[in-house]
Amino acid sequence: MKTFLPLWLSLFVLTLGTAQEVTVSGSIADADNGETLIGATVVAKGLDQGTTSNAYGFYSLSLPARDSLTLTFSYVGYQPQQLSLYLTKDTTINVELGTGVELDEVVVKANSYREQINSTEMSVEAISTREAKILPVLLGESDILKTIQLKPGIPSGSEGRTGLFVRGGASDQNLIVLDEAVVYNANHLFGFFSTFNTDAVKDLKIYKGGFPAQYGGRLSSVIDVKLKEGNNQELSGSGGVGLIASRLTLEGPIKEGKSSFIVSGRRTYVDLLTSQVNRANEGNEDFSPIPDYYFYDLNAKVNYKFGEKDRLFLSGYFGRDVFGFDGDFFDFNFDWGNATGTARWNHVFSPKLFANTTFTYSDYQYNIENRITGFSFGIGSNIEDINLKTDFYYTPNNQHTIRFGAMATQHNFTVGRLQAGSDDGIVSFSAGQSFDGLEFGAYVSDELELSEAFSANVGLRFSGFNNDGKTYVGLEPRLAARYKLSERLALKGSYARMYQYLHLIANAGVTLPTDIWYPSTERVAPQRSDQVAVGGSYILGDQYFLNLEGYYKWLDRQLQFVDGAQIFVNDNLEEEFAVGEGRAYGMEFSIEKKQGRLTGWIGYTLALTRLQNFETLDPNGRFAQESEGFGPFNPIYDRRHDISVVAMYEISRRLTASATFVYGSGDLTWLPPGRFSFQGIEGVPFEAVVPDFRERNNFRLPAYHRLDLGLVIKFFPKWGKAI
Amino acid sequence: MTRNILLAIVAIATVASACNLEQEVEITLPEYDSRPVIEAYLEPGKPFRLLITRSDGYFDEFPSIDNFPGGLLYDSAQVSITHQGVAYELDNQLAFDPTAGKLYNYASSATVPENVGEPFELYIRFPDGTEAFAETSLLPRVPIDSVVIEFPEGDMPEDTLARALTYFTDDPSQVNFYRRVLHAGSLDSLQQDFVADDQIVDDSLIVFGTGFDYAEGDTVINTLYHITEPYATFLESLNAAVSANGNPFGQPSPVISNIEGSANALGIFTGLIYDRRIDIVEQ
Repeated sequence: MKTFLPLWLSLFVLTLGTAQEVTVSGSIADADNGETLIGATVVAKGLDQGTTSNAYGFYSLSLPARDSLTLTFSYVGYQPQQLSLYLTKDTTINVELGTGVELDEVVVKANSYREQINSTEMSVEAISTREAKILPVLLGESDILKTIQLKPGIPSGSEGRTGLFVRGGASDQNLIVLDEAVVYNANHLFGFFSTFNTDAVKDLKIYKGGFPAQYGGRLSSVIDVKLKEGNNQELSGSGGVGLIASRLTLEGPIKEGKSSFIVSGRRTYVDLLTSQVNRANEGNEDFSPIPDYYFYDLNAKVNYKFGEKDRLFLSGYFGRDVFGFDGDFFDFNFDWGNATGTARWNHVFSPKLFANTTFTYSDYQYNIENRITGFSFGIGSNIEDINLKTDFYYTPNNQHTIRFGAMATQHNFTVGRLQAGSDDGIVSFSAGQSFDGLEFGAYVSDELELSEAFSANVGLRFSGFNNDGKTYVGLEPRLAARYKLSERLALKGSYARMYQYLHLIANAGVTLPTDIWYPSTERVAPQRSDQVAVGGSYILGDQYFLNLEGYYKWLDRQLQFVDGAQIFVNDNLEEEFAVGEGRAYGMEFSIEKKQGRLTGWIGYTLALTRLQNFETLDPNGRFAQESEGFGPFNPIYDRRHDISVVAMYEISRRLTASATFVYGSGDLTWLPPGRFSFQGIEGVPFEAVVPDFRERNNFRLPAYHRLDLGLVIKFFPKWGKAI
Repeated sequence: MTRNILLAIVAIATVASACNLEQEVEITLPEYDSRPVIEAYLEPGKPFRLLITRSDGYFDEFPSIDNFPGGLLYDSAQVSITHQGVAYELDNQLAFDPTAGKLYNYASSATVPENVGEPFELYIRFPDGTEAFAETSLLPRVPIDSVVIEFPEGDMPEDTLARALTYFTDDPSQVNFYRRVLHAGSLDSLQQDFVADDQIVDDSLIVFGTGFDYAEGDTVINTLYHITEPYATFLESLNAAVSANGNPFGQPSPVISNIEGSANALGIFTGLIYDRRIDIVEQ
């Protein structure tokens, strides 16, 4: 760190000195609906100068003043636009790109590949909503978060097992943000669906490594989901009636050219059927009523353009899973879900300085209410965040894009809240802990173009966390570099240190809605990781993009449960933790084809993860894995090989067929190699088989493979279109 | 062209759906070394006695009728329990308690004294030279204060069934662990068996309930064990191990015993102190 910081500062100072330039800046948007375009390219013809729009559609390009200049704006899937300018002073140009004309797809896709070659970013995967809609994941429903798990390095759990396990990270090590608000549980229906309604999502990007300095708080991945802004040209709607859920989206302008909205909702309706079955069987003593289950979610967003320099966005998400049973003497209700809210202000201070300031609210909770005549029982947990952050983009010249910002999040935790007792108040039980935590961070980074071939992104993040007087702080250096050997081949490398101040308390088997988020405390130190990745990207012909990466990750202060841990209703949860370290390494390969009737990709991941050196926080706690000398062990999600093949074939304008094939080495599981019989005490039956669990995760299940075939038929009614 | 592709997709989908969708998985488990399993309960007024069996590989055959219980029992060990300086030797002899319906293979004619708080030390030397040892002490009895039989208010047929609420008073000055066992009719008919501690109780009164399951004239047998923390830990880990056996939602756990020593034995050495009430359900 000491060596590269002065280098970075000196470059910064030197480049500030170069002037005699003017700046072209503005935003790039979709002409059909006004959505800002992320990563659109701006190139000055003949000058070999260019840039891309940032996450908010804003771009800034410094050019020498001249009488005649041609700028080309382009974006994957859109008609490029050329503008000739008389450039003598700083100029704002807002561009809208259309899709109405058939494109020379080869050129556009090749440009997309070249952007990936040119970028210092590595270990990044993105998925478009179009791809997600063509690749349905279950019963015809599309799901953008499930679809991205087909990319290399992001093995999902097996069927019925939720969570993402990115490059050997645990399921709590993924930072999932929806319009910059944290989503703590991105699952519906025990993981068969994600909380993201594909109709409302604009863009999803996942970082597996090489994390930019603006991101922090989780060790293994950042999943950045952005909602659509709403069509500012015309009122439009879309919807669908599926086998298990229906959805509806409406979007349109509020004030033309100034403001637009989008509202999107969906709900499952199996409960409507089961409630009718229950009603039809009322009075039938042999019939056991079927519990009701449904989930729903609602996304809404509005934006208002105050002028050329200011734009305000308000967005929100609310979703719940509801499981309920009402009996004569016995009621049981279980609900869980997220709520998020985002207020975001974009301001252009100058053609070179852009700011994004965000206020977010995020809440995840589960509640179980159980009532038996005269007694009630309630249990729940909750995490609530209030966050304020600001990010600045400063582009002093085309060789530097400097980002800096700061954030603070107030976390409120309620862990294992229990209230139980009799209606008359004679008997009462209660349990639970409450914590407040303040997480804070500040960062600075610079995207440096040192030469035509060599560019780097150098950053430093400072983060910290305070809980009940105990403060942890950490410095997180970030470095990503790209060296272009040719226009087709680039070598890349990155290093990132990450701190994670929150921990998910989950059992070893599956991720459940009842898993608990737990803060770092006096005894529970924050998790930490260091990841190094190297790789190369190559454009093969005009159609194929090859990517190869290897990584090594050090994981410190990892939490596991001690043997016999009591997770539910425990006021001393820390006594149940063992703390150790992990190592994860592997390689990922992918070949992608984005053009032509046949598109798709093949991905392969080779990975190994192991955990070791665990010590219990409670001196009397037991962790047989270490105390009985079994040594390092692999977590359940340690999957050696993962292959995915995704193909989409456009048969006609109306028909698109898809096929996905996944193959993965079997997950690990903890099976008992032995058993014993246990007689017990008077009045308690003999237990014939008590499993004797020994070494953790000692058995690998058979390999998993699955083939999904899909066919999407588009109808074109006069009043719109449908999928 | 389009039609042919569609036909091909339908054909592939048909073939795929006709495949055998249920697959059996053959499991080869790691090697397993058998371990002694010790169950030693001290009940005041009853003889010193315990049962030593052995564990087996998960897929090993159970003892057949010809070698039962010999195939299960672990014999020829030297066993002693020391209390207040007196060592009680337990002989390797088969004994059956017909009242409790339990079997023991080590016993002494001496009975367990009710000395609350005084330690008992177990020592076992196995024929292969390995050893096992443990220590425990008896806890004071916690009496059941009352059992309230309660019928619901209503005139539906199911409203004729009552529930039983069992009240007892906890000593809030220390952490206590309880095992609640409930039977209906006789000790052969187990209704409830669980472990609880007093750490979540707001005051000293604790109640354990039942469902509306009992008709007028039924017998409800309440047994409240005041147990040690190692016994509570053992029972919870044993229940966790049993419930995780084939349950993907379970949290697997090795059984946590309070037996130490080179024999690598499993099991529990603990006192059994309880209060029992028998109530007849009446309106």
